[in-house]
Amino acid sequence: MTLRSRCLMLAAALGLSLALAPAAAAQDPRLEARVDGRTRAQLAPILDSARRAGLPLEPLIDKALEGDSKGAPRQRIVAAVRALAGTLGVARDALGRGASEPEIVAAADAIEAGIPPRQVEVLRHLLLSRPITVPLAVLADLVARGVPPDTAAYAVLNLARVQAADAQFVGLRIDVERDIGSGIAPATAIAVRSEASVRDVETRRAESRSAVPGQETPPTP
Amino acid sequence: MSDFDGEAEFIESVARELRAPVVLTPALDERVMSDVRGAPYGASDGAPRRRFWLVRPVTLRVSPLGGLLAAAGIAAVAVLGTMAAGGGGDGGATAAVAATPAPAIRELPTVAPVANATGPQQVSFVFLAPEASNVSLVGEFNDWDAAATPLARVDARGVWTVTLPLRPGRYLYMFVVDGTEWAPDPAAPVAPDDGFGVPNSVVTVGGRST
Amino acid sequence: MDMSDPALIGRVLEGDVQAYGVLVARYRDRYARYATHMLGNREDAEEVLQDAFVRAYRSLARCADRERFGAWLFRILANRCRTAGGRRGRHERIVVHDDAALVAAAEGPVAERSAWREEIQRALARLDPDQREAFLMKHVEELSYEEMAEITGVGISALKMRVKRACDRMREMLQEVYSV
Repeated sequence: MTLRSRCLMLAAALGLSLALAPAAAAQDPRLEARVDGRTRAQLAPILDSARRAGLPLEPLIDKALEGDSKGAPRQRIVAAVRALAGTLGVARDALGRGASEPEIVAAADAIEAGIPPRQVEVLRHLLLSRPITVPLAVLADLVARGVPPDTAAYAVLNLARVQAADAQFVGLRIDVERDIGSGIAPATAIAVRSEASVRDVETRRAESRSAVPGQETPPTP
Repeated sequence: MSDFDGEAEFIESVARELRAPVVLTPALDERVMSDVRGAPYGASDGAPRRRFWLVRPVTLRVSPLGGLLAAAGIAAVAVLGTMAAGGGGDGGATAAVAATPAPAIRELPTVAPVANATGPQQVSFVFLAPEASNVSLVGEFNDWDAAATPLARVDARGVWTVTLPLRPGRYLYMFVVDGTEWAPDPAAPVAPDDGFGVPNSVVTVGGRST
Repeated sequence: MDMSDPALIGRVLEGDVQAYGVLVARYRDRYARYATHMLGNREDAEEVLQDAFVRAYRSLARCADRERFGAWLFRILANRCRTAGGRRGRHERIVVHDDAALVAAAEGPVAERSAWREEIQRALARLDPDQREAFLMKHVEELSYEEMAEITGVGISALKMRVKRACDRMREMLQEVYSV
């Protein structure tokens, strides 16, 4: 199933449950203060469905405020909020049950940036025992810097395979951004830096193993 | 502690523990009153909660990243300061302004240990708009409120700047020129389509090493 | 003699800002407990409480029933807790150690009691936010289901279900810890 069709299905499900929910989530004072009543009425069921589904509400409220601030028409605001709710749902599905809200939001950012949900799922499985908010945010940042999504995903997944620490993911981003800043093409920068980062993780691990005999290292799949 | 006769008794014993008073700092009263004095009732209902929001911008888009903001700036550059974690005042900014159209790369001192990178950092936003009569910063950190964070014009060439404390995280933002024209930060990465046809800029705020 | 809430609100609306300070002092501690348990740490609770007080002040003219200012303020606070809680992931939630209250309430050995309270708070933090909210309102704040429905905008039967599920889960989690 494509991302778009999954988004549409979720959006439809959110839309269908309109009548059931009280408008508790749409009572956010910021929406009350800034967004007109008709828009709020149309947002209410989306927000309440998202709330019932355990999705984070803050990005949805934020999206509505953004649309209002940008002078977008009501239907566009509602559509943008609904689409984001769909993406958050897809993100949560990719992460599986037990995903934290920061993880869901970071995954949604990555998916919006063009990272396939399947890659998010793979990342989740590679780093099962810890939060993956940071690697996901690095993915989205790399794409925002101009790295093609599939190349960014490849680099981040390679680091995940060697159980890199969060700081090492961030280090990759820093290196790539620095290279891009000095005029190197994003795809070239990521290709070079990705390989070096993986090597660096492995070297450090070997060093720490020899420095601390008997210390357990994380399993490498 | 394991022998509870019935559910009601068990829940009551749990609730009793939770009913113990929680005492917060008395300074809270003064902070509320200070906010209240500066904001007459009614007049500013719905206005941006600037102090609350900016000092602790707890947004869902926060990710605990250490990192760098590289900004090859011709028209604008955002610079991260190095205010100590946990600080929240207005001082301590190490803002730099790209007054000349030269490429610049700024970075945080080091990659931060993620768990510690939670305190706010001073972040400066700079925008070059010689013709503008006002510029404001809007984004996820101020509820996209164009009235919340105006930039100040710092020189005759039209350099506009503002510095605000942001917690480590990833934030979308834009500039609004003269209240009507939405402009991305030409020096910052661009986020995907925002759903409204006006793609946002992205700033990633990192922590500092400890 | 203490002034009533409606009298204080009247003073505030006539321009006496200091009168609001009396309302803040009156409700601060009462609501600190709810915010702290809802959010899992005192720092966030303080900020949400501050935000709720300031919002209430700004909207004071819209408080239709001044006799029920406390309930109205609680509704704002509950709303803020919901929004703020949504911004943080379950993994980031911190368990509160309330040493002062602990010492005051200590009956058995302090260490054992502290561990018990910590387990309770840990279990509370693991509840879904909706269930935590319902549990705290019903059993800790001791509100009626009618009051809870008014505050949350959720139907009474749904609230009863949330409370029941919360109780079941709390029992499950805590008895798991202490049955061994």
